Amino acid sequence: MSHHLFLLSPTDTPIYSLAHQSTKSTAPSSGSTLSSNLPSWSTAPFSGTLTALSGAQSVGTASTQNGAPKIGAGQDRHVIQMIANASLDVIEEMMVSNSAMYLKSIDKFNEWTVSAFVTPGNMKFVLLHEAKNDEGIRSFFMEVWELYVKTAMNPFHRSDRTIRSTVFDARVRASAKKWL
Amino acid sequence: MASTKQFKNIGEDLWKSRTDKINAELFTMAYGSLVVQLIQDYEDYAEVNKQLEKMGYNIGTRLIEDFLARSSLGRCADFREVGEVVAKVGFKSFLNITPSVVHHPAPGSGTGTAQPAGATPRSSLLPSQNAAIQAQTHSAPGAFFVLTLDENPLAEFVELPESALPTVGADSTPTGGLWYSNILCGVLRGALEMVQMQCEVVFLSDVLRGDESTDIRVKLVRYLEEEVPVGDD
Repeated sequence: MSHHLFLLSPTDTPIYSLAHQSTKSTAPSSGSTLSSNLPSWSTAPFSGTLTALSGAQSVGTASTQNGAPKIGAGQDRHVIQMIANASLDVIEEMMVSNSAMYLKSIDKFNEWTVSAFVTPGNMKFVLLHEAKNDEGIRSFFMEVWELYVKTAMNPFHRSDRTIRSTVFDARVRASAKKWL
Repeated sequence: MASTKQFKNIGEDLWKSRTDKINAELFTMAYGSLVVQLIQDYEDYAEVNKQLEKMGYNIGTRLIEDFLARSSLGRCADFREVGEVVAKVGFKSFLNITPSVVHHPAPGSGTGTAQPAGATPRSSLLPSQNAAIQAQTHSAPGAFFVLTLDENPLAEFVELPESALPTVGADSTPTGGLWYSNILCGVLRGALEMVQMQCEVVFLSDVLRGDESTDIRVKLVRYLEEEVPVGDD
């Protein structure tokens, strides 16, 4: 079961992304996903359309993602990005009404649930996941937030640049392993 | 000449009696933005190192006055004592850190060698002569001490970008790179110069660059004689 985390700056620039394969055994929902039933060739043209749609929405986002292939339970990378992008509108709506930091699950797409976390500095953390895990995800977001604050204290960090620190990466992965 | 323990206590007292203290995070972030701005302006890490040292020098020349006024310590007997005072009283009263010190006497010859391989000459010397030689060796130009900072308030949360790390040269020695806390070297150089010691202060290693520890070497170049300013009679 995998998770995808995106950290977005207040200007919606992605500054960090992570795909994480959970080692914890969870609810047996992964076997009955729509896309895994369909052969991959049928979803591929579908994802192509989605990419075009998402491309119109925010060109910068798709092109700045690094091209390294990430494992995502067989899902196409573009679908993941499309889902994350689509959820941003929902997040912004909720930000106005709900002042809590942790917005639980705000969107659902096929089998992917999107949970979001908005920091006081208007940073958005978006997590795509398959199973329900509110408490674990809340703890994970809090830890990622702390790690992010430490990174932001680095004078060499720009708020709109990608986070390249290997230390940050290692810690986020460790945190993901702990909570997800 | 006060002992190590006394220096520690003096340092503690000075730190406690200081009424204007600054928030550590504010200090760290102010220094951080200073360094980043310098990098943006000069775009050359060697130049930035030089500028930081220069700024430190200006700070040091003024800082020594404040230090001597508050601590009311007299002249140090030898360079070894200088090292002790710098580490235990100086750093403690301004930054609330106590770096550890390792002293190295000057590599001397003739009467300067107080630790020769054959120990026989020593026993024939009077204790007073021995001490004098000891002091002389520890005060001879070329003597140095190494400060090891186990924590550095200037560099909290800092991670250097790739470009600021040293590159390995053709002869496999690291060159270039940014010494993030180089202002400290300038401060020490400036302060010691105001008390008639010309020193060379450099960083040997820095944890920000991936080394094991953060080390500063302070080497005595020469004692400065009082010079009559030009124009005076």
